[in-house]
Amino acid sequence: MTIDIIVDWLQATLRWGAPLIIVSIGEVYAERSGVINMGIEGIMLFGALAGVAVSFLTENVLLAALFSIFLGALFGLAVAYLTVSRRTNQVVTGLMLNLAALGGSNLLFALLSESRHERVARFPILFPEVFHNIPILGPILFRQPVSTWIALILPFLAAYVLYRTDWGLNVRAVGENPQSAATAGLPVIKLKYQAVILSGIFAALGGCVLTLGEVGYFASGGMTAGRGFVVLAAVVVGGWDPIRTALICLVFGAADAAQLRMQTAGSVIPYQFLQMLPYLITVIALAGVVGHTRPPKTWGAPYDPKDV
Amino acid sequence: MKKETKTNKFISIPFIGELALSGARPLIGVFLGLLAGAGLIALSGVNPLHAYRAMLEGAIGSPQAIANVLVRASPLLLGGVGVAIGIKSGVWNIGIEGYMYAGAIGAGIIGIMALPVAPIVHIILAMLAAMVFAAVWGFAPAYMRAYRGVNEVVATIMMNYVAIFLTSWLVHEPQFMAEPGSFFPMSLLIAPTAKLPILMKGTSLHPGFIIGIAACVIFYLVLRFTPFGFRTRMLGVNPIGSRYAGVKVKKQILLVLLIGAVLGGLAGAIEILGLKMRVYMDFVAGVGYESVAVALLSGGNPLAVIASALFFAALKAGGATMSIQTGVGAPMTTIIEALCVIFVIAVGHGERMRLRRLEAKAKGTEEVQENDN
Amino acid sequence: MTQNEEVTLCMESITKQFPGVLANDQICLDCRKGEVLGLLGENGAGKTTLMNILYGLHQPDSGKILINNQPVEIESPAKAIKLGIGMVHQHFKLVDTLTALENVILGIPSKSSLHLDLSTARKRFLSLCEEYELYVDPSVETWRLSVGQQQWLEILKALYRDAKLLVLDEPTAVLTPAESEQLFKAIRKLTGEGRSIIFISHKFGEVLEITDRITVIRDGHVVGTVLTKEASYSELARMMVGRPVSMERKQRPENPTIEPVLVMKNVEANNDRNLPALKNINLTVHAGEIVGVAGVDGNGQLELAECVVGLRSRTAGTIHVKDHLVNEVMSDPSFVGYIPADRQKVGLFLGLTVAENLVVKDYKKPPYNRHGVLQYDTIRQHAKNLIKEYNIKTPTEEVDASNLSGGNQQKVVVARELSEKPALVIASQATRGLDLGAVESVHDFLLAERNRGAAVLFISTELQEVMSISDRIIVMFRGEIMGEVDGDDADVSVIGQMMLGKVEEVAA
Repeated sequence: MTIDIIVDWLQATLRWGAPLIIVSIGEVYAERSGVINMGIEGIMLFGALAGVAVSFLTENVLLAALFSIFLGALFGLAVAYLTVSRRTNQVVTGLMLNLAALGGSNLLFALLSESRHERVARFPILFPEVFHNIPILGPILFRQPVSTWIALILPFLAAYVLYRTDWGLNVRAVGENPQSAATAGLPVIKLKYQAVILSGIFAALGGCVLTLGEVGYFASGGMTAGRGFVVLAAVVVGGWDPIRTALICLVFGAADAAQLRMQTAGSVIPYQFLQMLPYLITVIALAGVVGHTRPPKTWGAPYDPKDV
Repeated sequence: MKKETKTNKFISIPFIGELALSGARPLIGVFLGLLAGAGLIALSGVNPLHAYRAMLEGAIGSPQAIANVLVRASPLLLGGVGVAIGIKSGVWNIGIEGYMYAGAIGAGIIGIMALPVAPIVHIILAMLAAMVFAAVWGFAPAYMRAYRGVNEVVATIMMNYVAIFLTSWLVHEPQFMAEPGSFFPMSLLIAPTAKLPILMKGTSLHPGFIIGIAACVIFYLVLRFTPFGFRTRMLGVNPIGSRYAGVKVKKQILLVLLIGAVLGGLAGAIEILGLKMRVYMDFVAGVGYESVAVALLSGGNPLAVIASALFFAALKAGGATMSIQTGVGAPMTTIIEALCVIFVIAVGHGERMRLRRLEAKAKGTEEVQENDN
Repeated sequence: MTQNEEVTLCMESITKQFPGVLANDQICLDCRKGEVLGLLGENGAGKTTLMNILYGLHQPDSGKILINNQPVEIESPAKAIKLGIGMVHQHFKLVDTLTALENVILGIPSKSSLHLDLSTARKRFLSLCEEYELYVDPSVETWRLSVGQQQWLEILKALYRDAKLLVLDEPTAVLTPAESEQLFKAIRKLTGEGRSIIFISHKFGEVLEITDRITVIRDGHVVGTVLTKEASYSELARMMVGRPVSMERKQRPENPTIEPVLVMKNVEANNDRNLPALKNINLTVHAGEIVGVAGVDGNGQLELAECVVGLRSRTAGTIHVKDHLVNEVMSDPSFVGYIPADRQKVGLFLGLTVAENLVVKDYKKPPYNRHGVLQYDTIRQHAKNLIKEYNIKTPTEEVDASNLSGGNQQKVVVARELSEKPALVIASQATRGLDLGAVESVHDFLLAERNRGAAVLFISTELQEVMSISDRIIVMFRGEIMGEVDGDDADVSVIGQMMLGKVEEVAA
């Protein structure tokens, strides 16, 4: 019965889209401030692992989330130091971080190998049982863990902060024209640091949601499977706006959910083509075919405070 | 007219300083990376000296070890020099992973066919197919960067993933390439006539590293001694000046990116024909990005690519031994690789930019520098 | 305009040294309450550095700053703003994607960190617009505003912060005459309220109209301060441009100038801001003559050179070099030799060796390239010859070009461009930043080219050298050619006035 399939698919869309949305929140801020954090793939991986590990050890998902946040902040700080203070090439820095994170997470995971087949405590479902049975909406919306709901609310909060608070205004100014921002008396370096650390926090949190939101375990070698890069793509296609980016993440999540089902169900379109979809969309968007939003003017460029 | 005060004295310091820095910078970075790696190893409870000694043993301790290193170096050499040429001309070619897959597909298609030709012909045909596939694959992002100014980094990374999934589809039943009935999706076995010969009995040493080193030497010569190479270097140093001097900038960028693609394709082909014998997903996990690291360490110099590729390969080969002997996990080598590169760019970048800026201020006027790039 | 003895700003003996350049040399300056102080000086004279010091973007090496007779340390723009200093930069410091209102409040913390108080800000902003009659729509994104409105926005930004001392850097550079009048009206209102204004400009007419006193800066030091009502055009020109006392005219043989090499007809072009930079340029340079282009920096000289070389596209008109229409970059060295203003950007390849820099246009051709292989022996020998001929000081031809001093880098460019004996030589600020010896050399090289039969277009803001080596002199002002004088009996004051926009009758 096709309704069931669609309902199932939509439910999965939200679940798979949630971690992407969370990661995108932080990355939007970082890129708005002019820094591309290419390392979110690696940070996400570490967040995923950390979430499982802490959850396994303490059986407390809140602690797991907090630890992920802490870890993400550390990584964000490292990226900020390298890209903002040392002015290293942002692409390379991020890629190397991913490489290190891949190795590091595999290493650390081996230490936890006992937990490999056990499912750890996961994020609780938010709404009580009675809501679950509402036709259609019930399974889609109300059987979601709390993390999905957080992911759905965050973009609106993020947009509000970005467009309606001092700090958001300052971040936007810094990424667009840091010299003007400095002339206006803004602490450019500090703002960039804050934005990048934020991207680390959300990347780790997103990874934590990936494992604890649904799956409940960590698989070495490719847990995140390029989802961090998908978020980078989503930010570009979403025009660096939190809400549009979140929508794109949902689209990518839908493709993700669909291809997973097709792998088992079998279908006319090979599922690999659905896997390709997010990346192809990005390439086309980059070529300017879709939309005309442009990145923050200093996107990816190092900032030298001595450039007056 | 401005008086130039003390300029000559000022310049002589950076001259010597620059010379020392440019040679020493990667070495300092590598040293710091190894140091940091030692720290991590110590944290995991193993004596770093033992670990590094084991690594050394696994890298150069026996002919088999060296063979192992050379095998692992093969794709890094080709990928590395492809990225290095890009670096020399100012473009970031991160699509190696994708080119390798495309090349593997091309070589795979020819390779699995039972062709009635001599092995050398079969191999060459497969390699040619690989290069063509890779060139076609690389054309879209290359064109977009050269003629539309699209950011090549994001474009090529995206294409990497598309390539991986395409490969996955092709080796999955019921595609013609797939091995029927296998539990893990992979292609048919490469025909015996298409396999690269083994050079040392008991190892998997194939001529890939020779091709890789040859490529590095060839491209060093090209960069240094041909008009094409000269243009590439001009472009990397001064794009505006290059345009003024008559360089066809767009065409040059396109060619440089395509060369990187072809080299990547060749690397993928060699991996398939020499080592893996089948095409499957993840047959080169991360090697593409490691090539970028290799190229970065080399600063864009193809001869230095030989050194840094061998260094990385030694790290990986030795890492396996280290892991067996001391219990340090094999992924540690990837971490050390990444740390080395990060230290190199963190140490080097700040210095060079600062020197350039001071020199520019000394030679120009005190006019405010506009944020143009 | 009241002359109040109360001094708002006093800068005493400000000195600032950058590597290789003494930007400010013991500069003393004061501005009184309710006064408009004009600040005159060439680009590179030091006034930008001085104002950046005042605004906290640089720190002086020595000297004092007093605001209202209190010594102050201005370590950052935030501090400057707090002290009541507002700066309107020549290159706008606006964030394009933010709205006008957002740009105005940028840097001012809102009462609540959770909410931008846009509505209060908007009310205050609009009342400021009313008061000074400078109208800008606060909700519009800044990139959509016209350049004039962006200028008002910069000024409103400073007024929003209640600046008591306002520095206006070339405020009318992008304004129409009508908008300039509007600006002056606002300035008069501001000084009436007791605020002080430092008015930086090249345009003498306006400076004479709006200021109370004028301070002239040249080469990093103050030349003098005069009362505006006692100042005259020629005196100001003399102060700003320098006394052409030892302006020796170079000897040259008479050349019958018949064959036109460079022909420009009705050429128009825009600058990087898409504003018109060249208007209706008609110019012919013949073989064997040097045509000097005089004028204050920023009046279209850069765009002129770039158009002739092909680096900048024209919006109208035609340019022919030896009957060859210029449509793209002229990289054939036998046609055009270009010695650019910004050698590091266009002319030189820092990162390549000196020898390589010298063959950047020729490497494809024999003898440097045979069968696809670069012949480095020949390249090196060629470099050695040029090093000797043009007296380039370098350890060897194999060193990286970035290691040479500025003067010698320029010589590399000169050597490369001139050694192929091009038909047309364009020198645009070719002697900028060079010591006297190097300047002499460049002049001699250019004269040699002229004597050989090349057509030379010599663009320079240093009137002395233009008058020294040119056969004919044209003067550019605001993208137009104001007039032409003969090199041999040029009158400084006539040229000076043309540079400032006044066209006088030239006695035949």
